[in-house]
Amino acid sequence: MGIPAAPIVTIAFKDLAQTNCAKRGMPLQRISYTPHPVWGKTDEQMYAYLEGNDPVHNVPLMKEIVESLTRPLTADEMKTGTVTPPVGAPTFTDTADNLQQYFLDNGMTDTMPIIIPTQERVDAMLRATSHKLDEVVGKMTPAQGAFPAWSFTVQQCAVNAVMAGALPEYFPTILAIASTGISALFSSTNSLVSAAVINGPIRDKLTMNYGIGAMGPFNQPNATIGRAWTLMSRNLDGGGICGETYMGSQGNVINYSNLIIPENEKDSPWPPFHVQKGFKPEESVISFFFGFCITQGQGGKGLGVKPVPLYNVAMSANVAPFASLFGALFLLDPLVANGLGDLGFKTKDSVVDWLQKNTTVTVKDVKSMLFSGLPRGPEAANLKDDDVIPKWQKSDAFNLVVVGGQTNPYHQLANMSYRVSVSIDKWT
Amino acid sequence: MNRRKLLSLLGMSPALLAGAQMEAQQPKAAKSGKVAAAENAQFEALNPKGSPPPVKLIPMAPRLDSVHGKTIYLVDTGFMSGGVLLQQMQIWFNKNYPDVTVVFRKKAGSYMEDDPPLWKEIKEKGNAAIMAIGH
Repeated sequence: MGIPAAPIVTIAFKDLAQTNCAKRGMPLQRISYTPHPVWGKTDEQMYAYLEGNDPVHNVPLMKEIVESLTRPLTADEMKTGTVTPPVGAPTFTDTADNLQQYFLDNGMTDTMPIIIPTQERVDAMLRATSHKLDEVVGKMTPAQGAFPAWSFTVQQCAVNAVMAGALPEYFPTILAIASTGISALFSSTNSLVSAAVINGPIRDKLTMNYGIGAMGPFNQPNATIGRAWTLMSRNLDGGGICGETYMGSQGNVINYSNLIIPENEKDSPWPPFHVQKGFKPEESVISFFFGFCITQGQGGKGLGVKPVPLYNVAMSANVAPFASLFGALFLLDPLVANGLGDLGFKTKDSVVDWLQKNTTVTVKDVKSMLFSGLPRGPEAANLKDDDVIPKWQKSDAFNLVVVGGQTNPYHQLANMSYRVSVSIDKWT
Repeated sequence: MNRRKLLSLLGMSPALLAGAQMEAQQPKAAKSGKVAAAENAQFEALNPKGSPPPVKLIPMAPRLDSVHGKTIYLVDTGFMSGGVLLQQMQIWFNKNYPDVTVVFRKKAGSYMEDDPPLWKEIKEKGNAAIMAIGH
C-alpha cells in the first residue's frame, strides 16, 4: 500500500505468520502477538489483552504496535532483490538406513518408512508414462491464497510415487492427481481431509479393491496411490509442516493416505460417477472431494425398520447435523443403492431431490450456525426467521458414490464438497 | 448350531475357523559378512521436493514520525473475533491518543480474498493500518 502497516496475530500462529511473511518477501515484518485464542473472549478480556504484554516479545502490546508504525526502518527492512528458497541437493548418497533417517529428519516422509527413491526405481516409474521427466505437471500450495504455489515436474512426482511404495503402473493415476494441484493436506485449523473417487477401466487394470474392505488398508494400489498423494502434498509444495502449513488443531488420521474410493460400478444400479460428470464409461477418471471428516451411517434413524430399511431416512438423519459450508458425499454399499431403487428411487437425482427437501432448517437456525450461510439473491432479502429453507441451497451439494462388498446394507458419509474430475488416460 | 453358522449370524467371517498357529520366528545367527556388506552399501536417492518460486523482497513502507494527528485504519480480515479485538483497540486509541482518527473496516470477502478497493481507500485517506487476524 505504501503506508506503514502493523499486523497482529494470536501467538498460536507465530511460526505460520513469520514464515508466510518471509515467503511473501517481507522476512522482517513487524508482527505483534496477542494471547490465544481471541475467539469467545469478552470485551473486557480483549481490552486486557491490549493493555497487557505481547506474549512473544514480552513488551506492552499497544506500545509495540505504535512503535511498529513509527520506529525508523533498518537497512535490512528496506532490502530489495530476489531470493530462491533452498530445497536441498538434487541427490543424497548414504546407506539405506541413513537415508531413511535423513528423509525422516528433513520432513520428507509421513514418518513411516519409505522406499528409497533410487535413480533405477524412479526411471522404472517414469517408463509408465509417455510424458517427459522434466515436463512441468502443475503447481500446488498447502492453502490457495495463503501460500505461494510451488511448481513440480513429472520426475519429482515419480520420486514421491516410489517413496510411497507405488508400482509403476499406478503412476498415471498419481500424475493425474498431481496435475490438479490439489493438496491432500489443505492447511486449516479444521483438520480437513481429501478424497478421490476413481472410475473406469483403470480400477480393474490395477486390481483396485472396490468390494469388501475397499476403503480399508489392504489393497496395494488403493493404499499407495493415496499415500503418494500425501507425500506429494508434503514435498511438492512445502506442506505438512505442523504449526506452519499443517494447522489442524487435532490433525486427521485420514491425511496418511486419504480416502481413495474406486467406485463399484458393476454392482451399482446407476451410471458411474464419472459419466455423471460428462466422461465416457470407457474413460478412466479421478474425481476430487474435500472437507470435514467421514462418519459411518450405522445406527441411524430408519435402519432396522420393518418391513424394509428406509435408507433415505437414515441418510437424511445422518447428514442433518453437517455444516453446509461443505456438501454431503454419500458412500453407499451396493445393497443400499439397490435398496433405494426398491423404495422407488430409480435415479440418483430422485434421491438427491428427496434429501434436499428433507434436510431443511429455519432461517433463524442458519443465522446461529458458524459454518452455514444464508441464501443470496433478491429472494433472500424477504426471508423471515421462521421461514423453512433447504440447508443445502444447491442440489449438487449432494453426491452419491457406490462402494463396498455387500456384507451389510451400510453407508458412510462425509461432509465434503466435489471439486473436479480429470482424465487418468491423459497421463499414460 | 455349528460355529460356521454362529459366526455368520454375528456378522463375522467363517474364515476365522481356518486360523492356524503361526510358526515362531527363529532368532537369527550373527550377521554374515554378506549382510554386513549389504548394510554398508551406498545408495543415491533423489530429492522429492518441488520447486518453490523465487521470493521478491519487498521493502517495508517508510514509517511515520509519530501517530499524533494521523488517521489509522483498523482492518478486520474476518477471522473469528478479530473485529472484536479491533473495536476494543479503537476504544484504546480514543482514550490514549485522542488526536488520532481511527477508522474501522471489515475486509470484503472470505479471508482468502483480496480487497483492492479497501487498500485504495486506506492509501488515499489513511496514514497507517493495523490488521488483525482473529482465531
